[in-house]
Amino acid sequence: MSVKVGDELADLVKHPTTRQLVQYAGAQGDFYEIHYDQAFAQGVGLPGVILHGLLKAGFLGQLVTDWLGDRGTLKTFEVSYRGIDQPGRPYRCRGRVTKVDGDQVELEVWGEDSAGSRTTVGTATVEMKG
Amino acid sequence: MVANSVVERLRARIGVAAPSTEATVEAGHVKRFAEAIGDANPRWTTEAPPTFLVALAPVSLHLAEAEEYGKGWLNGGNRFEYFEPVKVGDRITATGRVAEVYEKTGSSGSLLFIIFETDYVNQDGRTVAKLRGTMIRR
Repeated sequence: MSVKVGDELADLVKHPTTRQLVQYAGAQGDFYEIHYDQAFAQGVGLPGVILHGLLKAGFLGQLVTDWLGDRGTLKTFEVSYRGIDQPGRPYRCRGRVTKVDGDQVELEVWGEDSAGSRTTVGTATVEMKG
Repeated sequence: MVANSVVERLRARIGVAAPSTEATVEAGHVKRFAEAIGDANPRWTTEAPPTFLVALAPVSLHLAEAEEYGKGWLNGGNRFEYFEPVKVGDRITATGRVAEVYEKTGSSGSLLFIIFETDYVNQDGRTVAKLRGTMIRR
């Protein structure tokens, strides 16, 4: 299957819960309280506990590796966190192919909150197998 | 001013490698990490998913003193560059350093940006990945 500019990656919709944030906190070893302690999160000006940026990066990484399968290798993966996301709301991961140059492919990836705002944006480059 | 001295102390560390940390990529750890993301790909029984390296060593190495600035942390972004696959059983050495420190004034007050870089090297001495991250104090 050849890859071409404009190809869309299959959407990946996540339904994060506070329980999942605790699970991720343990797995990554990031115990910053804004991810599981409501009072602490509100004390630093947040509306409540929020998703780890790196959990959202993990979701977007899955979006890319699900799409890529064994057809190639991930070379770079970059994400910027533009907005906060709270558990209990769906998080939609999307992406599309922006450039194809021989076996080098560039992707644009992003995560949308339930209102459709892109709260995480990023890019990935992959090297397809010859 | 306290805030300024924090910035100056962090700036003095730019480019200086923090003590390395070493860790083995354990199957159970990779499994728990993939489960936490909700990624059931069977590939992650032998190989680490793209963001796993952040779980092997703290990403914000030796930035505790930045906590004198502002009241909370934000993660601004992460950039991974991959050179070799990271396999279960690999012994990885992570070495981090502060790359840049700067302040910006935003609508809600001043922000302190700390850019750090971490190199990950496997048991064969091969660099498997590099991570560049932006941590923000506000």
